[in-house]
Amino acid sequence: MIELFMTVFSATFFVTVVRTSTPLLLSTLGGLIADLSGALNVALEGMMLVGCLTAVIVSVFAPWYVAVLAAIAAGALLGAVMAFFHLRLKADIILVGFAINIFATGGTVFALTLATGGDKGTSINLPSKAIPALDLSFLGVIPGIGHTLVQFLSGHSILSWVAAFLVFAIWYFLYRTPWGLWLRGVGEYPAAPEAAGIPVNAIRAWSLLVSGALAALGGAQLAMFNYVGFTRDMTAGRGFIALGAVLLGARHPVGALLAALLFGFFEALAVVMPGLFNWIPAELIRMIPFIVTVLALVLFSYRAMRARQLRTLSKI
Amino acid sequence: MSMTSEAVLGRKARWANIRRETGRALAAALIALGVAFIIILFTSKAPLEAFNVLLTAPISRPRTIGLWIDDVAKLTITGLAFSLVFQARQFSMGVQGQVYVGGLAAAYVALSPIGATWLAIPVGVLCAMIAGGFYGFIPGIAKAKLGANEIVSSLMLNYIAIELCNYLVRTQLVPPGSGVLTTNDFPATAVFPALVAGTRIDIGLILAIVAVLAVWFALYRTAWGLKLRLVGHNAQFAEYSGIRSTVIMVSAMTVAGALGGLLGAMFVQGQSYGKLTILFEGGLAFEGILIAIVARSRPLAVPVVALFYGYLRQGAQLMNIRTDVPSEVIGVVTAIIILLVASSFSLPGRKFFARLFGRDPASSAVMEAGK
Repeated sequence: MIELFMTVFSATFFVTVVRTSTPLLLSTLGGLIADLSGALNVALEGMMLVGCLTAVIVSVFAPWYVAVLAAIAAGALLGAVMAFFHLRLKADIILVGFAINIFATGGTVFALTLATGGDKGTSINLPSKAIPALDLSFLGVIPGIGHTLVQFLSGHSILSWVAAFLVFAIWYFLYRTPWGLWLRGVGEYPAAPEAAGIPVNAIRAWSLLVSGALAALGGAQLAMFNYVGFTRDMTAGRGFIALGAVLLGARHPVGALLAALLFGFFEALAVVMPGLFNWIPAELIRMIPFIVTVLALVLFSYRAMRARQLRTLSKI
Repeated sequence: MSMTSEAVLGRKARWANIRRETGRALAAALIALGVAFIIILFTSKAPLEAFNVLLTAPISRPRTIGLWIDDVAKLTITGLAFSLVFQARQFSMGVQGQVYVGGLAAAYVALSPIGATWLAIPVGVLCAMIAGGFYGFIPGIAKAKLGANEIVSSLMLNYIAIELCNYLVRTQLVPPGSGVLTTNDFPATAVFPALVAGTRIDIGLILAIVAVLAVWFALYRTAWGLKLRLVGHNAQFAEYSGIRSTVIMVSAMTVAGALGGLLGAMFVQGQSYGKLTILFEGGLAFEGILIAIVARSRPLAVPVVALFYGYLRQGAQLMNIRTDVPSEVIGVVTAIIILLVASSFSLPGRKFFARLFGRDPASSAVMEAGK
């Protein structure tokens, strides 16, 4: 037990948590934008997966930032496809989302086969690049806390810093700009913004586009930092966990950050636990994030329901 | 007299509806096949041969016909499960998890002393259905009592079931010391007897046919089915007319779960395996979404769609083995079919193109606003 505490409160563990949380956070922010605009984006998983593959393949031929941008573009494209079928052709958003997921599962393996010349499992033969970590070792000169700061803040992926900034940016956008108000209004009660002359469908389409771009950015982090390279189904349910994290985070950017950190913590725990407790079976450890999602979802829904009941009671 | 003419009119309208839906589904399939052909054209060294394999291989030999029919039986069950859930306007995606817990339950029965008696098949199937039903009940009750989003919870339960299956197979069901992740073969009494010797066509096919009829009867000839369809149509209206919509939703998800469990038993006890292997389901359960969408959640249309799609699926598998085109092409085809059928595209005509380019006033946000 002591060892577990030692591990959990160490700087290396903190760095691991940030690393495991970043793809989840980016994807959760993507889910949040779509959810607030009134579309439950169940395609996060597929968008992440496509982001992973795009980033890996492009990084073979181009610098890492071009690969990240390509992943963003691929995700936005999938978002546009969703928007087209949902808004123009009136398909159910959930069915469209699952179509994207099915497309991504098959399509990525298929594209990988083409790119590697027949290898269906991994991109191990592709010389793909990694996202560089931000080196902050100059903070070490600060007397007293300098060493600790370096331990905790240095060595994160650049995208981790981008994700942290995005939490703030999205909060500012949603709650401090007119467009954010429009977006939330469209999700809350579309008839009112429509009557006020706000282009409801355009806002929904942009939300899905941004949602896809963010999810794919999470995929790029996963395939270019957490692991370098692509393996089939490497997202392994992270997109769906992100969907749970949106609801768990009370549909707020800061909530999303906390929820993503919670899941990242359990994922990191699943990484370090086999070394500490080899009597706990690996399958059960891998189950933890999913069990936590279900429990958290149930608890949160229970709280939300109680709050609703209390509100109705107070009105009477 | 007027009654009969109304009935005739109704029947005519229904036939017109069926013709339209069939036309749409076929058009979607043709478009998707066209895209598949283009993809194959660019990837294969011998595209015509690959496409030929995709379209003709499943009926080339009795063995491949058996593979096809076995797939059809399984796709029918998962399509039925999704149809039930969709008709109640729920989006539980838990069939995959239900298949795993059902398969586990059936495997425990088959490997217990009961497995060596004639009870093995009925008890195995029953236990699988109970386990699956329970697994479908959980997201249902969480949604009904707490409002927990059923899509997220059912998806999480899928992953939990898969890991549970991996764990139990590794630690309990596999004879100690053997490195494989497969149980011993079930005793012959616990394996579904084959209907056609030497193929995979077994009594799972009969179970699938019975399930189709049972679901059709339950949906269209019982009070429960009427309530379920009402809830699916307009839950608020159903609530006002005295139907307890939450009870109906939970029961629909439980029954769908039982179907998922049945599919699990069909997998592990069927001729295809006759044992429990980890990851035995191979993603088939999710393909029920496609079946249910194309069949418009109509139980009697489900096996028809399953026949077509199962054929395509087997064709892709055989293309994977015999040519240089991977079977994952079918994922792209599936996605296109879902997108086209789920959207309100009509056969390419004036209206479709008008909507495509946004000139149809009906497609403006006003309709969306009503949601």
